[in-house]
Amino acid sequence: MDIRSHVSMVFHLDKCIGCHTCSVACKNIWTDRKGTEYMWWNNVETKPGTGYPTQWEDQDKYKGGWEREEDGKIHLRLHGRKKGLSNIFFNPALPTIDDYYEPWTYDYENLFNAPEGDDQPTARAVSMITGKPMDTIEAGPNWDDDLGGSPLYARNDVNLDDLTDDEREQLNELERVVFFYLPRICNHCLNPGCVAACPAGAIYKRGEDGIVLISQEKCRAWRMCISGCPYKKTYYNWASGKSEKCILCYPRLESGQPPACFHSCVGRIRYLGVLLYDADQIEKCASVPDLELVAAQRNMIQDPFDPEVIKCAKANGISDAMIASAQNSPVYKFVKKWQIALPLHAEFRTLPMLYYVPPMLPVLAKTDKDGKYDVAGLDNEGLPAMISSLAKARMPIKYMARMFSAGNVKEVEDVYRKLIAVRIFKRAQKVKDYQQAEVDAALAQGATNPEEVEAIFRLTSLPTYEERFVVPPLGREVAVEAWEKPLERKTEAGFGVRNKIAKRKF
Amino acid sequence: MIEHGKPSSHPRFFSFLLALGIALIFVATLFSVAFAKPSAQVDGEALFIAKGCNACHTIGGGKLVGPDLQGVTELRTNEWLTKWLTAPDQMLQTDPDAKALLVEYNNVPMPNLGLKPEEVAALIAYLGGGATISGATAELPAGDATSGKAYFVGDKRFENGGPHCISCHSVAGIGSLGGGNLGPDLTTSGFVQSDAAFASFMGAPSTQTMGAIWANTPLTPQEQSDLYTFLSRAAVTKREPSALLQIALLAIAGAAALIALAQVYWGKRLRGVRKPMIEQTLAARKRINAK
Repeated sequence: MDIRSHVSMVFHLDKCIGCHTCSVACKNIWTDRKGTEYMWWNNVETKPGTGYPTQWEDQDKYKGGWEREEDGKIHLRLHGRKKGLSNIFFNPALPTIDDYYEPWTYDYENLFNAPEGDDQPTARAVSMITGKPMDTIEAGPNWDDDLGGSPLYARNDVNLDDLTDDEREQLNELERVVFFYLPRICNHCLNPGCVAACPAGAIYKRGEDGIVLISQEKCRAWRMCISGCPYKKTYYNWASGKSEKCILCYPRLESGQPPACFHSCVGRIRYLGVLLYDADQIEKCASVPDLELVAAQRNMIQDPFDPEVIKCAKANGISDAMIASAQNSPVYKFVKKWQIALPLHAEFRTLPMLYYVPPMLPVLAKTDKDGKYDVAGLDNEGLPAMISSLAKARMPIKYMARMFSAGNVKEVEDVYRKLIAVRIFKRAQKVKDYQQAEVDAALAQGATNPEEVEAIFRLTSLPTYEERFVVPPLGREVAVEAWEKPLERKTEAGFGVRNKIAKRKF
Repeated sequence: MIEHGKPSSHPRFFSFLLALGIALIFVATLFSVAFAKPSAQVDGEALFIAKGCNACHTIGGGKLVGPDLQGVTELRTNEWLTKWLTAPDQMLQTDPDAKALLVEYNNVPMPNLGLKPEEVAALIAYLGGGATISGATAELPAGDATSGKAYFVGDKRFENGGPHCISCHSVAGIGSLGGGNLGPDLTTSGFVQSDAAFASFMGAPSTQTMGAIWANTPLTPQEQSDLYTFLSRAAVTKREPSALLQIALLAIAGAAALIALAQVYWGKRLRGVRKPMIEQTLAARKRINAK
């Protein structure tokens, strides 16, 4: 076993209110520079929807991630060595700025300086790339925000492809229109497509925490990472001529704080903690058939309490503090212990280390003619009428499976059964309107028990700051003291980047 | 072990050679010191030939590539000649007389030969001394243009192994792509004036590059004649418009072929996602509404 540590994440979609506070926090800290205006290292999408960049999930178009061959080997969908070389000066799978959006600001000064006229002065939209006024704004980073059921955006969601025509039609029925939010950042994958695609070797994964970074000194602007990443989470900075991506706020992590998007999250949907995983299994896990992907990835994550795992971790130089942090990790609980968090689009085979707890199926209820509260479709598999059945879910299970379990419906159903059991158990406890038999049935169906349900409930609804963010002691700045005296170094070499990064002049 | 006896004789032979060498160097130095001419008294005629002046100039033998130098000291002042011989390239940019000469002699510039002041003085003295000197080579045999072209483009080897003209020079009549660009284009260069001038120049080229290339691999008179015959037919004062058109058409056709190839190779490239998606959706809705 080659045990390594990884700072991993869980987003609890049930709690996301789609307020974009995370995106704004990130933008203000990292991407408010020239050339980065169109980048959203963190963005929140409405699902069903086409997302940002438009239809990023459609790898027939964008050629991101890995592809499994008949013999079980995987290769980059973008290109192999020969094709990579012949395409080195022209990458045929690059999205254009139009597929993201043309960033703009407004000419606010005109409100103050406009000459006297018949009408009120207006602040015209001005492109942040060309500097020219934009007459019509056609797209934005969350253009389809809250547009569930939109014939233009929601219906072009590629995750709907597996659905039958009837199921698709249902999603657009009046009063049945449904959507949920999907916040996305870089997944800091274990088998990253961006790293594999980079011809300059500029992208790397940090050893101690697995954060994927692009070296601004080594990047040569080939832009293969942009195509290689199936989540489209590397971006090309047109002003500096280098690619950039989410850095998981490592400067904040190193001083013990969670990343800015985590910290600012209003719904407190984000959890951060260390996972210990077996690096020997990476290639094998990324190569299993689609339906086994989620299980294989879960299997790769190791129990931080297992003495054998701890021994191997220590042999790899992982500190006691890091192991202790892994033992406290909320991510470990969601992903491995309770198995209710799933990776996004595991079929891209990059082994993403950001997991999502799928959102609860929205209830569609009405009162019948007797004034009795009725949940649509009472075929509830013997459970109380609080939540509609999985089979009749407003958001079809097949759609969820396409997003969170590479099409494996059973994986998603198992997650939902457990989440339903938590709801029923807690309601029976607080409101006391369910029979014990019903609660027991729910627990049995969810393959869970009261203790686990309590724990899930606590970490979902009432977690403290310290429980949500178990930031490991990365302490690079402390570690460096072992071989270099910071004060001496400061007087000798100063702060900052040692080699000046050459930038293009505009 | 077998050659055990030898080492003893080896050092003795070596030291003998060394002593002989030292003695030779000593004697040579003595001679050179004893018989060295004072530097001011450089032999003008020897210098005229050594520097390759006779490749382009005669004294009283008529003009070749450059003018006949008979009586030049009366035509120009001593000061002008000194400046000219020291740095003709600078003179060509500033002096009106030098500019006029350049035009008169088909825009073939006088190369800077890097002469020292005493060499310049010696040359001027020699030119004023009334000596005569003819071109570097005698008259040429009859030439064959086809053979000359073959020499130029490299279909036929030069007898002494010299490089083929096409590697540095271009000339009309060797195909649309022409030849190299390192040397002047011989179509319009003005070098190819008369067989005597050509033979004289090629016999001992005085420019740095040509001199270095041809010093050890000279052309035979027959090769010179063949080349001259070919070049004199090809050389014109101005390129014909049809030749320029040919090159332009070739460039356009080449570019079109490359673009077509790229279109085939990258035909399945990503041509935008958002706009096509919206257009297709709107078009589909229009079709449904039309029904």
